[in-house]
Amino acid sequence: MAMRMTAQRRVFQGLGNGALLLMFLWTAIPFYWMIATSLKHDKEIYGYEATLIPARPTLDNYATVFRETPYLLFLRNSLAVAAGSTFLSMVIAVLGAYAIARLSFPGRALLARGLVFTYLVPTSLLFIPMFAMMSVLRLTDSLHGLIIAYLGFDVPFCTWLLMGYFRSVPVELEEAARVDGCNRVSALVRIVLPMSLPALVVVTFFSFTHAWNEFLYAHVFTSTTSARTVTTGLVNFMSQDVFFWGPLMASTVMSALPPVLMFLVFQRWVVKGLTLGGVKG
Amino acid sequence: MATSTTVSLPLPSSRRGLGWGDKVQRVLMRDRTLGYLFLFPALLVIVGLVAYPFASAIVMTFQAKTAGAPGRFIGLDNYRELLGSEQFLRTVFNTVVYTAVGVGVKFVLGLSMALVLNQERFCNNLFRSFLLIPWAIPTVMSALNWRWIFDDASGLINNILVRLSLIDETISWLSDPNLAMLSVIVVVVWQGTPFFTMSFLAGLQAIPKELYEAAEIDGASVLQQFTNITLPRLRPIFISAVMLSAILTSAGIQFVLVLTNGGPSDRTMIFPVLAYHLALGGAQRLGMGAAVSLVFFPILVVFIIFLTRRMLREKGGD
Repeated sequence: MAMRMTAQRRVFQGLGNGALLLMFLWTAIPFYWMIATSLKHDKEIYGYEATLIPARPTLDNYATVFRETPYLLFLRNSLAVAAGSTFLSMVIAVLGAYAIARLSFPGRALLARGLVFTYLVPTSLLFIPMFAMMSVLRLTDSLHGLIIAYLGFDVPFCTWLLMGYFRSVPVELEEAARVDGCNRVSALVRIVLPMSLPALVVVTFFSFTHAWNEFLYAHVFTSTTSARTVTTGLVNFMSQDVFFWGPLMASTVMSALPPVLMFLVFQRWVVKGLTLGGVKG
Repeated sequence: MATSTTVSLPLPSSRRGLGWGDKVQRVLMRDRTLGYLFLFPALLVIVGLVAYPFASAIVMTFQAKTAGAPGRFIGLDNYRELLGSEQFLRTVFNTVVYTAVGVGVKFVLGLSMALVLNQERFCNNLFRSFLLIPWAIPTVMSALNWRWIFDDASGLINNILVRLSLIDETISWLSDPNLAMLSVIVVVVWQGTPFFTMSFLAGLQAIPKELYEAAEIDGASVLQQFTNITLPRLRPIFISAVMLSAILTSAGIQFVLVLTNGGPSDRTMIFPVLAYHLALGGAQRLGMGAAVSLVFFPILVVFIIFLTRRMLREKGGD
């Protein structure tokens, strides 16, 4: 019996190793191709002399991106939008989540439900009226407009995530602090927030990467170079159907790097936060 | 702003000279005002950035409207035109295929990967981190990268197939009417599998080891353990993940927009892309575009309501 068991296990372990190898290649090859292309001369990218491995690696494509496109401006815009919407949604979400988790008032459950519901309504249902609204408010072609628009996703999600963490902070700690003369606000700042640090990290990660990665609003609300972000900037710069794959892949590598690095650093918390909520299916 | 007003509440003085009942009332009152104050900004966001746009989308569907100009009421004309158009019917069909196949394959691959990563293995954590990266990189970047991989003349796939002499002429993965949808779904799967892997892996790790040990003593095979312990335990996560993914996959615009833009001849046209074309392409018919999205909303809303309930329940509390 035990023999049969170990034999079975060994078979499954072997199958698992094989599957893992396949999955590794399936994941890795597109990355490889992206990075390899960014390091090639045009000769190695197109035509008969095209190579699979860069024969003479070069950073020319990266230089081209900086020299011939306003990539630095796109980077700066992305950073500004991501930082701005992260900060705002953090403040709004901390207050909202605390109210739902700790304060009792009529309509609380309804508001909680409304928040989750809003988070699940996809932006592709909203971008048309949002575009009309932004045009009327003259918030198109502006970083402020994007920061505001992203709150519509970030605030509900962050509030929902923080709500759960705040609930897990023992009420007794807060009550003790309030007996000692802390009011609600200082109890929130001194007790609840420090104990929810992992949640704050997750929330920061999600808002920041969401704003950094967002495409639809950034694309629809922006028609000039001045307010473009990394996700929309270069695609628009490379005009109609003519793609210069070398520089484009170089910019793709650079634009993907910040969220990937953030993910690798905060992975442990992110995975936990994601399995509770989940974004990007 | 809200914070400064609440800090200045005269807490000590209000305590003096009040009866028990008054005091309780006082605390309740404060909770209430503070609650609304704290939630006000969040409420403003929900109303201003989701509820209002959503309501105005509904109004728009009854209008002939272009951006900037006020709309003209035309009743159900937009819906009538949509339901009578072959393009729209094709879009409905495509959206269903795109979502069902995409989510289905992501599910199977994600579950397999979660099971594999749940085995004990040297360097497993490293593999896990790596396999999750497609989830973290911006979706447009993945889409662009794959557009290049599928490239007719010099893309990776054609490059390799030619090298191996498997084909004489390169294949137009994204512009061949029979291949385009398949190619787009490949990309959807590449980017979306990690989400399923992560969710399922977390579910697997939450199953108590004792269950398996007990089953083993009873002589249950690995397969029996899988069908009798693993699958039932993961069921709630299956449902949530599939629904969430169905919402986000069907409503996801980026892959199709970057890879095929709905073509060739509408073969990959899904509803958000059609809405985009109608509303923001040449004619700028905002009402028609909004109507396309609205037609799909009743299906999505079932999933959304179900998930809302579940997400609130999982959080504990109410």
